[in-house]
Amino acid sequence: MFFLKRLVWSLAFLSGLSAQEMTRTAEIEKERDLKAANLKPDEVSPLERKLRDFKDQKYAEKFAAGYHGFRAKIGNMVTGGGFAIGPEYYREGLVDGKLTFRASAQISTRGYHKIETDVRLPSLAGGKLFVDLFGSHRNYGSLQYYGTGPNTRKEFRADYRLEDTSFDGLVGVQPMKYLKLGGSTGYLWTNVGHGTDSRFASAETVFSPAVAPGIDRQTNYWRNGVFAQLDYRDDPKGPKQGGNYVMQYSWFHDDKLGIYSFRRLDIDLQQYIGILNRTRVFALRAKTTLTDTDRNEEIPFYLQPVVGGSDDLRGFRPFRFSDRNSMILNAEYRWEVFSGLDGTLFADAGKVFPRRGFLNFRDLETSLGFGLRFNARNATVARIDVGFSREGFQVWFKFNDVFLTRRFGTSVGQPVY
Amino acid sequence: MRRLALFLLLVSPVPGQRFLPDDPLEREPPPRSVGALLARKFSDYYDLFSNQFGERGKEQPKSGPPIRAQAVNTLGEPMEGGWYQKRHYYNRMSIDELTRGPGHRTPPSTDGKWTVVAVKAEGVTPGFTVVDSAKRRYFVKFDPMSNPEMATAADSITARFFYALGYYVPDNYIVFFQADRLQLGDGVQLADATGKKRSVTAEDLALILKKVPLTKGGLYRATASLAVEGKPIGPPRYFGTRTDDPNDIVPHEHRRDLRGLDIFCAWLDHDDSRAINNLDTIVTLDGVPRVRHYLLDFGSTLGSGTEVPNSPRSGAYYFSWKNSAKQLFTLGLLPPYWAFAHFPDYPAIGRFEWKVFDPEKWVPEYPNVAFLNRLPDDEFWAAKQVMAFTDEEIRAIVGVGQYTDQKGADWLIECLRERRNKIGRIYFAKVLPFDRFRVQGGSLVWDDLAKEHAMGGVTDIKVSWSRFDNKANAKTPIPGSTTATVPEEGEYVAADLSSASRPKQTITVYVRRKGGSTRVVGLDRTW
Repeated sequence: MFFLKRLVWSLAFLSGLSAQEMTRTAEIEKERDLKAANLKPDEVSPLERKLRDFKDQKYAEKFAAGYHGFRAKIGNMVTGGGFAIGPEYYREGLVDGKLTFRASAQISTRGYHKIETDVRLPSLAGGKLFVDLFGSHRNYGSLQYYGTGPNTRKEFRADYRLEDTSFDGLVGVQPMKYLKLGGSTGYLWTNVGHGTDSRFASAETVFSPAVAPGIDRQTNYWRNGVFAQLDYRDDPKGPKQGGNYVMQYSWFHDDKLGIYSFRRLDIDLQQYIGILNRTRVFALRAKTTLTDTDRNEEIPFYLQPVVGGSDDLRGFRPFRFSDRNSMILNAEYRWEVFSGLDGTLFADAGKVFPRRGFLNFRDLETSLGFGLRFNARNATVARIDVGFSREGFQVWFKFNDVFLTRRFGTSVGQPVY
Repeated sequence: MRRLALFLLLVSPVPGQRFLPDDPLEREPPPRSVGALLARKFSDYYDLFSNQFGERGKEQPKSGPPIRAQAVNTLGEPMEGGWYQKRHYYNRMSIDELTRGPGHRTPPSTDGKWTVVAVKAEGVTPGFTVVDSAKRRYFVKFDPMSNPEMATAADSITARFFYALGYYVPDNYIVFFQADRLQLGDGVQLADATGKKRSVTAEDLALILKKVPLTKGGLYRATASLAVEGKPIGPPRYFGTRTDDPNDIVPHEHRRDLRGLDIFCAWLDHDDSRAINNLDTIVTLDGVPRVRHYLLDFGSTLGSGTEVPNSPRSGAYYFSWKNSAKQLFTLGLLPPYWAFAHFPDYPAIGRFEWKVFDPEKWVPEYPNVAFLNRLPDDEFWAAKQVMAFTDEEIRAIVGVGQYTDQKGADWLIECLRERRNKIGRIYFAKVLPFDRFRVQGGSLVWDDLAKEHAMGGVTDIKVSWSRFDNKANAKTPIPGSTTATVPEEGEYVAADLSSASRPKQTITVYVRRKGGSTRVVGLDRTW
C-alpha cells in the first residue's frame, strides 16, 4: 500500500515536470523531495549507545578505581594457587598527591591466603627520592618441593605449606634519569607445615632436615639490603629497546635460632634489541642468585633460590629445582603479529648449584618454546607460553611480563613473590 | 531503495538522456532547510569494531562494473556545497591565502584575559576551552612534554592543507602566552579519571600547565582552535547518509570528496581519519539552515601522534586477518613494508618519512569504506590537487608551524614534497592524466598534468570524434575526424582520446554547442 502511494506520488511529480524541461537541478531537487518525505531521526543503534555510555560514564575506570577506594583484587597469586580474588582498598594522590596507599586480602580457589599493605611515596624531593613501606602475610597451602640440588627427580614431588609475615621499608634515590640507588630493611617471620595436596607426600615426610634445611624448625629474620638499578628501557611496561640492570645485596640475620643466617646477591640483567622499527625484538636476560653463609650455617629450603616455571625455565614445573645458588639465561625473539599481539620463540637455560664456583655454563637445564603476548598500550596484559624440556611440556597462561622486575628491597628474597 | 530507483526512472524526461541543460553544475542546488537535527555522539569503540568487522555501507562489487563516484557533476568534479569547496587546484590561492587557511585573522585577542570555561586534565597533554575578550571561543591544545611543537604545528599546518584541498576545517592558530593570560571562569568543573567532577581551582590550572613544555622564552605554546561556525550535531559517518537531512542524498562511501580524501590523508599521514574526528554543524546561510561537514583534529598528522610521536605502523591497519595470519605463520620473517621505514630524530616532527611511503599501501588505522571504494578516477581527482602544491607553497604552509628546529622543518618539507611526487607518479599513471578540458579557437585543448609536473607526459594521443545523440546516449563515429578541431556536427559531439602506450586508458570528452557557445560538458574516464 505504501509502495503504491509512493508510485502515485512520483507520477504526480512526473506530470508536473512534463510541462517544463528537466534539469539536473530539478533532478536533485526531486531526490531531496523523496528524502524529505522519509526523514527520520538519525540515532545511533542501541548497541552503539551502550558502548558510548560505557565509555562516557567511565564504568571501567570506576570499576578499577572502586567505590571510595574499595575494589576487587583479582589474580596475582603464586603459581599453582588457583584463581584468587578479594577486596582491595586503593588510594592514590593522598597528602598533596605524594602518597599512594594499598591494602588487600585475597583467597584463592585452592585456599591460599594473601594479605598485603603498601604505602608508597614514589616522587619526593622533585622526583629524586622515593619511599616504600610494605607488609604482607601469606599462607600458601601446597607449594611444590622436589628436594635440594640440581639432580632431583620430578617423581619425588612433595609439597609443604608456607606461612610468612613480613614488614619492609625502603628508601631510594634517583640521582639520574636512568639510575636508582637505595637500601631497605625489614623483618620476616616464617613457618612451614604440612602440605595440603593429598596427591603428594608432604615434604617433611620425604625429606630430612639434612636435605631440606629448616624443614623441622623455622626461624625469623632481620633483613637489610642495598640495591641499584640502571634502567634505560624505552618503555618499562613493554620494552623493545634498551637495558635494565638490577643488583641487590641482602643480609638475612637469623633472629631466633642463630643457625640460618645468610647473605644473598641477586643480579638481573635484561637487554632488549629492537629492529625494523622495533617490530622485531630480541629480548635477553641473564639472572643469577648467589648466596653465602658463615660456617655451620644453612639456608632454609624455603628461602633457597628456585628455578622452573612460567618466568624462567618454562619447560619445567614451577619450583622444579632449588639450591643455594641459581642462574637463568633467557632469549626471546618477539615479533608483532598485529598491534595487539606479539608472537614469540624462546629458549631458556638455567640451573641451581650448591657452590658459587659452579657459576658457569655447564650442566644447564634447557627448554624451548613458543608463545603469544597480548598487549594493550604496549604493556603485556596476558601471555600464553608453551615450553618443552626433557621433562615434557608446560603451558602457561599468565597476566604478567615474562621478565617482570620484582620489587626492590629485601622482600625479593622471599622464594615466591 | 526500490522506491528511489523507480522514482528516478519515472522522473527522467527521456530514458537514456545523458546531459541536462544545466550540466555541468558547479554547485549543488540551494539546500533545503534542515530545521533542528538530532545531535548525536558516536562510540569510538563501536566505530572501530563496526568498521573492522561489521557492516559498513556498500562496498565495491567483487565482480562486474564498479560503482563510480557520485555527488559529482558531469565533468566528474564534486559540486560545491556543504562538503566541499573548489579551492587551490581550481582557483589558485596566493601564498597569503594558503597560510591563512580558513581564518580571517582572528586569533585569540591579546587585549585582555582568556577566561577558562572548560578543562581537560586527562591524558598526557591537557587542554582548555577559553573565551577571549572579544567573546570568541577557542579550544586550546598543547604539545607533549617530550615533543615540543609537534602536535601544535601539525594541527595548524594540516588544517591549512585540508582547507586548500577544499574541505571545511577549523581556524587554527599557534599562540604563545604566559600563565597570567588565563583566568578561571565561574563554575568550571574538572572530571577525574572516574568521571567524578569537582570545581577547578587556580592550583589545578597551575598543575595542568606543569605538564606543558615552555618555550625558551618562558612562554606556553598552544594551538588555539576557533570554535567552528554553527550548531554542532555530531560527526558524519563515512558511509550511508544522515536520515534526518533532506540534502544528504548520496551515500557517503560513494562521494568523490570522501573517496579522494584517502589520498590526502595518505599524503599528510592522517591515519586518525575516522568518523569521530569529523563534525557536522548546522549553519544558516541566506536564511536557510543547512548541514556543513568539518574535518577536525589534525594533531595526529605529519608524524605526530598528539601525545607521542606517531607509531611507525602508521599507514597500516591495527588488525587485518590476512596480514596477521601472514605474520603469525611466517614467524615474522616477512615484515610489513612500514617496518623498514627510517625516521630521523626530530622531536618536533615525530615520525614522518617518504622513502618507504607508498600511497597504494597506506591505510588509516582501521578500514574506511569510502577510502576502500576509491577508483582510479577518484585517485586522479585527489592526486591532481596534491600535485597543485608547489615546493614554495609547501614551504610556506609548513612555516605556519613556527618550528624552531629548521632542520626538522626542512625534513618535513622534503617529506611532503617527495610524498606528493609519489602520489603524482602513481595516480597519473593509472588514468590518462589530462584535465582542464576546454574549447579554444574551435579546438579541444587540455592540460597534460604529468607533463606539467615533469612526470613524463603522454605523447601519442589519438583523437576520434563522434556525433553524440544526447537523448539516446549513443555515439556515431565521424569518419576522418581525428584532429583536435571540434567538428560542427549537431548539438553534441564526443572526442575519444586514447594512447597506444596506455591501451586501457581512455577519455571521452563531450562538447555541446548551444546558443553560440561551445563548451565541454562531460567527461568519461576508463582505465
